[in-house]
Amino acid sequence: MQPLRIALAQVAPRLGDLDANLARHHELIAESRAGGAGLVVFPELGLTGYLLQDLAAEVAMRLDDPRLTSLAAATRDLSAVVSFVEESGDHRLFIAAALLEDGEVRHVHRKIHLPTYGLFDERRFFAAGGMIRAVPSRLGVGVGLAVCEDFWHLSTAQLLAMDGAQILVNVSSSPGRDLARTHEVGLGTAGSWRGLMRTYAQLTTSFVVFCNRVGVDESLSFWGGSEVIGPTGAPVFGAPMFDEGLFMVDIDLADVRRERIGLPLLRDERPELVAREWRRLIAERAGLAEDATAAPGSAPGFDVAVDR
Amino acid sequence: MFILPDELAIDTDVARRVIGAFIRGQLKQAGFGRAVLGLSGGIDSALVAYLVAEAIGADRLLCVMLPYRTSSPASQGDAEAVIADLGCAGELVEITGMVDGYFGRDGVPGEGGGEAREAAPLRRGNFMARTRMAVLYDRSVTWRGLVVGTGNKTESLIGYTTLFGDSACAFNPIGDLYKSQVRQLSAAIGVPEAVIRKAPSADLWPGQTDETEAGFSYPELDRLLFWRIDKRRSIDEVVALGFERALVERVDRMVAGAEFKRQVPPIAKLGPRTAGVDYLYPRRRPGSAAR
Repeated sequence: MQPLRIALAQVAPRLGDLDANLARHHELIAESRAGGAGLVVFPELGLTGYLLQDLAAEVAMRLDDPRLTSLAAATRDLSAVVSFVEESGDHRLFIAAALLEDGEVRHVHRKIHLPTYGLFDERRFFAAGGMIRAVPSRLGVGVGLAVCEDFWHLSTAQLLAMDGAQILVNVSSSPGRDLARTHEVGLGTAGSWRGLMRTYAQLTTSFVVFCNRVGVDESLSFWGGSEVIGPTGAPVFGAPMFDEGLFMVDIDLADVRRERIGLPLLRDERPELVAREWRRLIAERAGLAEDATAAPGSAPGFDVAVDR
Repeated sequence: MFILPDELAIDTDVARRVIGAFIRGQLKQAGFGRAVLGLSGGIDSALVAYLVAEAIGADRLLCVMLPYRTSSPASQGDAEAVIADLGCAGELVEITGMVDGYFGRDGVPGEGGGEAREAAPLRRGNFMARTRMAVLYDRSVTWRGLVVGTGNKTESLIGYTTLFGDSACAFNPIGDLYKSQVRQLSAAIGVPEAVIRKAPSADLWPGQTDETEAGFSYPELDRLLFWRIDKRRSIDEVVALGFERALVERVDRMVAGAEFKRQVPPIAKLGPRTAGVDYLYPRRRPGSAAR
């Protein structure tokens, strides 16, 4: 048995009010500790609210910001994932998730996929992260952090698992939409997320921890429904949709070993083959190699031939 | 009680939860605890009254009835029934004097001059809608509540609204629901059946109804808009679904022609930072709530 109690802080951040949200994080970290949790997870931009627009620069923190380090200091004998706007030394703004452990900022993940379509406009206000790394944790297993849209790209979960993560943590500010009665859980967004989280857990034979916010920013209503999925792809816990709360979930990390021995998918991955084919595709897209699927006569880097 | 096309059917429980939290969120962010709306006796404003009452309690809601002298007495009866059923505050403000004061009455010109006496019904209807808006925003001050919008998605898309009239509000809980969905949600939340059943009308003159005036039924129009807009189907694709091409093209023109009604007016870009262009803030942020 490797028991771990996870606290899902399904909060409704106050938009642009860093001080109020910081205070709430301190309270909930203390409450999680008192409840025996080893890992507490807050949602994407839980320290700032989501729909910041030009407020992003005003609530941004550098990694050495005393407000962040004081939050880290509150994590003795505890792991916490928090999310905020990070300003780099050269003044780029990132949507960041940080793993705070034993009083320190252990690891920072900068959101790598910024949705800028439909109702999203993230690329206008933020820079995209350029690294995806799992990190060893005081929990005894590797942890992989991802932020919301990062999970809508298959490579994220695969890279984190191959890099040693046994717990994939996704922090989200997912706005609910599509109320068609035909959806299983009454909300199209929730159905989509549930499907992909189960799939990722199963294919990476890892725990998936999903913390999604609730509350309202302007037109957008965030649906919560935070979850923990086991390494078989079966849900361990699902928080209610739309309700604020701190939800405690007990898992056994030994489930990862059992699943990976029985179903050695990660053992059988072919990273060298994947990397080779990616290199080929990248070269084709850049016009540096011949594209086998392009129409005959296409110019380099294009896939449709133009009559001249 | 009404026709609900399959593809438009929504989960009304989820809708009520989302809308309830939306209403509470909007009021909280603005620093208000109360709401006010214009109650016509029609289904849209009735539904919003029920949604607001469910979200914040009927004691925090003021419904203002704003009839003109030609408004249907039955509509006012329906509005009174809604107020009684909810147990919210209700108020009657006749707009006849204000409207006739401008257009004139009984051969006597009003402040609008002699020409205004000949104003067509549409022009008068728009004036009435803006008069109601002016009253609601005044009551918003005395009631200390935000004005809640009651326009639905169908009428917004086809432009069946008055700019700065019925479309004016602090926030709108049902602006993303088609008329058919308004009916579905109204039935779920308990809007009186008489209100749900009656033919939708702008009530600008006796016997006027939206559907006879526009020449299509709401379920048909809602389906068409859903496929064209929400599901991004081309004109040819919706014709293949069975819609008549002439109707599709006419509705397309209505939607395009009403684009301006759905947006904030453009400001000439002159300075370094311009509201709505490159000065982009959430409507409410720390420090912006009413004291």
